[in-house]
Amino acid sequence: MNDIINIKELKQHILTGISYFIPLVVGAGLTMAIGRAMAGSSVANLGDSGIGYWLYQTGSLGMQLMVPMLCAYIAFSMGSKPALAPGFIIGWVAQNINTGFIGGMVGGILVGIVVNLCKKYIHLPKVIESLKGMLVIPFLATAISGLLMYAVIQGPIIWLMAQLTSFLQSLSSGSKFIYGGVLGAMATFDFGGPVNKTATAFVNALYAEGIRDAKTVQIIASMIQPFGIAIACLLARNKFTRAEKETLKAAVPMGCFMISEGVIPIAARDLARVVFACVCGSFVAGGLSMVWGNSSELLNGGFIAFPFFTSPMQGLICLAVGSAVTGIVLAVIKKKVTEEDEKQEVELGKELSDEDLDNIEIEIM
Amino acid sequence: MKIVAVAACTTGIAHTYIAKEKLIKSAELRGHTISCETQGSIGIEDELDPKDIQDADVVILAIDVAIDKMDRFTGKKVIKVDTSTVVKNPIGLIQKVEKVIQK
Repeated sequence: MNDIINIKELKQHILTGISYFIPLVVGAGLTMAIGRAMAGSSVANLGDSGIGYWLYQTGSLGMQLMVPMLCAYIAFSMGSKPALAPGFIIGWVAQNINTGFIGGMVGGILVGIVVNLCKKYIHLPKVIESLKGMLVIPFLATAISGLLMYAVIQGPIIWLMAQLTSFLQSLSSGSKFIYGGVLGAMATFDFGGPVNKTATAFVNALYAEGIRDAKTVQIIASMIQPFGIAIACLLARNKFTRAEKETLKAAVPMGCFMISEGVIPIAARDLARVVFACVCGSFVAGGLSMVWGNSSELLNGGFIAFPFFTSPMQGLICLAVGSAVTGIVLAVIKKKVTEEDEKQEVELGKELSDEDLDNIEIEIM
Repeated sequence: MKIVAVAACTTGIAHTYIAKEKLIKSAELRGHTISCETQGSIGIEDELDPKDIQDADVVILAIDVAIDKMDRFTGKKVIKVDTSTVVKNPIGLIQKVEKVIQK
C-alpha cells in the first residue's frame, strides 16, 4: 500500500507542488501586474500590441499554468519522472473543467496513484521493458486519470466549491470579521510554514472561483509580521538584540514583497510572544479587510498588489492598523534583552534524555 | 561519524538555510564531520561531493518537499526528518542519529 500512496507523505507531495508553483505565481503575477498597471483604469486601454499588452498577456497566460504546474509537481513528487507529463495534462484538464486549485491537487494525487500502480503491477518482457516508462505509463496514467477527472471528480468538486461559495457569501458582517480574522491569523501563524500554506491553498482555491477578498486578507496579513515587529522595535529598542535589529533591516524590505520568512530568526528566539503578537495584528487586519470586502486582482507581490485592490486605501489602512496592533502588543509583552541574550548564538537546543529522544520523529529509509 | 545532509523546505528561502546552519553547528559540536547541501528556491547549492557521500556513515535529509538527485543515496543509511525538527532541536536530533546508527 505504501508504495502506491503513503498517507504520511501526502503532505510532502502537496508541499512539493506548492514549492514549484510559487515562483510561477510570482513571475507571472508580477509581469501581469506591471502590464495591468500600464493600462490605467481599464485593461482595454492596452489595445492589442505594445509593451503593456505584451507584459499583461505574458503574465495572464502564465497564470493559466498555475493549476497544471501544481498538479504536475504533486504527481512528480509521488511517481517521479513518468508522472510529470501526465500531471501537466491532468492539471490542464482540471483548469479547463473549472475545478481550479482543488481539482489540481486531487488530479495530481490521482496521477501519482495511477503511475505508482502501473509501476508495480505492469511487467513487460525484458526486450520491451524500456517501453514502460516511455509509452505505457504516460499513456495509461493520462487516459485513466483523464477519464476519472471528468467522470468522477469534476462533479463533487464543483458542487463543493459552489456550496463553499454560497456559504461565504451568506456570512453576516460579524461572522465575516471572524472568518477574515482566522484567515489572517493562519497566514501569519507559522511564518510561511504548513498552516500558512494551508491558508494559501484555501485562498487560492477561492481566487480561482472569483472570490478575491480572501486573497487581500492573506496579502496584508503576510506583510504584518515584518512591519509589526519593526514597529515594536521602534517602540521598545531595548527589547531587541543587536542581531535582531540587523535582521529587521533585511526583513522589512522583504516584507514589502510579502516574504515573511525574514523575521523567523526573531521569532525563533521568542516564539510564543512574537507569534501571539503577529496573530493579534493579522486577526484584526484580516477581519477588517474582509468586512470591507476589499478584493485583490493579483495573487502575490506585497505592495505591488496594492494598486490592484478594489480599494488600495482600505488595504493600507488594514495594513497600518494590523501592524500597529502587532507592534504595540509585542512592545508591551516582550522581555528586555539581557547580556545573556546578546551573547547567545544560534539556538541549538539541548541534550536530551533517552525518553525525550524517542519523541523526535525520524524516518529511516 | 561522517554525515552528509540535504536541507530543503517548501519556499526555499529561510528554513532551508536555518536548518543547514543548525545541522552543521550541532554536528560539529558533537564531534562529527558534516557537509550539507541546500535545495532552496535558487536550486542546488553546496552540492555534495560524490566522494563524501560514498564515505558517509549516514545521510540526513531535513526536507519538507521531494528533492532532486535522490538516487545518489541508494544503498546508504538515510534518515529523513522535517526541517522543523532540525530547527527546534538539532542537538537532540544528532544524538538520536548517533543512537540509531550505533545499533
